[in-house]
Amino acid sequence: MSNIEISGAKILVRFGSVVITETVVNTWLIMLVIFIACRILTRGLTVRGGTKRQMVAEWIVTKVNGLVKTNMGEAFRDYPPLIAAIMALSALCSLSSMVGLYAPTSDLSTLVGWSLMVFVLITYYKIRANGFLGYLKGYTEPIVVMLPMNIVSEIATPISMAFRHFGNVASGTVVTALVYAALSALSAAVFKFLPGALASIPFFQVGLPAVLSLYFDIFSSCIQAFIFSMLTMAYVSAAAQ
Amino acid sequence: MPGEVQEFVSLTPWTMIFEVVNLLIVMLILKKFLFKPVNAVLEQRQAEIGGMYQKAEDAQKEAQALKQAYDERMSGARKEADELIVAAQDSARRRGDEIVEDARDEAVQLRRRAEEDIELQKRKALREARDELADMAVDIAGKVVEREVTREDHDRLVEEFIKSAGDEP
Amino acid sequence: MGMEEVKYLSKAIVLAASAIGAGLAMIAGLGPGIGEGNAVAKALEAIGRQPECKSEVTSTMILGVAMAETTGIYSLVIALILLFVNPLVGKLG
Repeated sequence: MSNIEISGAKILVRFGSVVITETVVNTWLIMLVIFIACRILTRGLTVRGGTKRQMVAEWIVTKVNGLVKTNMGEAFRDYPPLIAAIMALSALCSLSSMVGLYAPTSDLSTLVGWSLMVFVLITYYKIRANGFLGYLKGYTEPIVVMLPMNIVSEIATPISMAFRHFGNVASGTVVTALVYAALSALSAAVFKFLPGALASIPFFQVGLPAVLSLYFDIFSSCIQAFIFSMLTMAYVSAAAQ
Repeated sequence: MPGEVQEFVSLTPWTMIFEVVNLLIVMLILKKFLFKPVNAVLEQRQAEIGGMYQKAEDAQKEAQALKQAYDERMSGARKEADELIVAAQDSARRRGDEIVEDARDEAVQLRRRAEEDIELQKRKALREARDELADMAVDIAGKVVEREVTREDHDRLVEEFIKSAGDEP
Repeated sequence: MGMEEVKYLSKAIVLAASAIGAGLAMIAGLGPGIGEGNAVAKALEAIGRQPECKSEVTSTMILGVAMAETTGIYSLVIALILLFVNPLVGKLG
């Protein structure tokens, strides 16, 4: 097999100890896209409304509001923007690997950052519902012997959320890279008889990666974004009780 | 240095911080530019629809009340009409009775007057007849008796005759 | 054997062990396969019993399948790390 390079993000700038990688830059790009999309969608809103643009905006808002109301109840009326932000960022970041960018969500740091934020939210709600001592006592329920297992399951929550997402997206990029390399090797082996430079054009790279990309990029990204937000909703609403 | 590539699985604290900040910024963007205007529009539409429903309900209630008032007035009017008819019939009947009563009285009076008239006429006729008879009697008597009867004898004879004629049934 | 040969041999052993480890890790792909197959079977049963709930059942099934996929993904990630990042070689020192 030829030179397959599976690597992480490229470091672009470095001031002292501050490192700005491709991840962060791509995320800024995606934020810009989201901002422009928001402005386009909410231009010229009317109460009667009928334009397609407004229907799309209303559909998005209504769906997210409905999800939050179903899963979190009425007490969390301010949460739809956060859930929508997680969904939008996650989905668009993962989908950006389709246009050739380095997907920010295939960098573990991104996802660990988001999971830690969710973990902080969960802990905050648990402490707010039960008090600090109640929160600590919650680890010894139902029996004191369960203490280590409770701690492990508590820590496993953000880790599993992060790794699930990262595993799906990163392995998707790895498999795509492997497939490309394999196809180029295959076409190099098959078309060896073509003269000169033509032999190094990977003919087989057309077609099959697109089909694979349908599953790995589109389906997997959307599902993982949805699951990440659903888990956020489930854990936060469970923590507030 | 720039250009170097991170590991496949690596944790960079700065990236984590940047990404959390990015997530919060996106949340604020969505809250301000998508959720607030669209929620406002949805709520306004809901309020307008609620207002329309309320207005429709109010209009229906008003219509109901008006219909009730109209019905009451209609039934009142009908009752009034019935009462009027009954009263008119009563008064008509009474008038009729009165008229009959009057007519009967008049008829009785007429008959009495007629009877009185007849009585008077009879007496007059009797008197005339008496006079004529008296004259005739005197003439006959003058002719029978060839003498001239004086006026007093004449009158005396007539009265006796009338008295005896009047005594006859 | 000289030091270089020992280093080369030890690196070779570590790489070989990483490869075997990656292969063993992928045996964990068995679990999600069976579990998700069960989930899909139950979902199909539910659809057969009540065909008008198809979309709800389908979306809930996808959600559950993605959750169950997690452990399989964990093992995939470990395998990829072992194969491409070669962390254990760096520990040879």
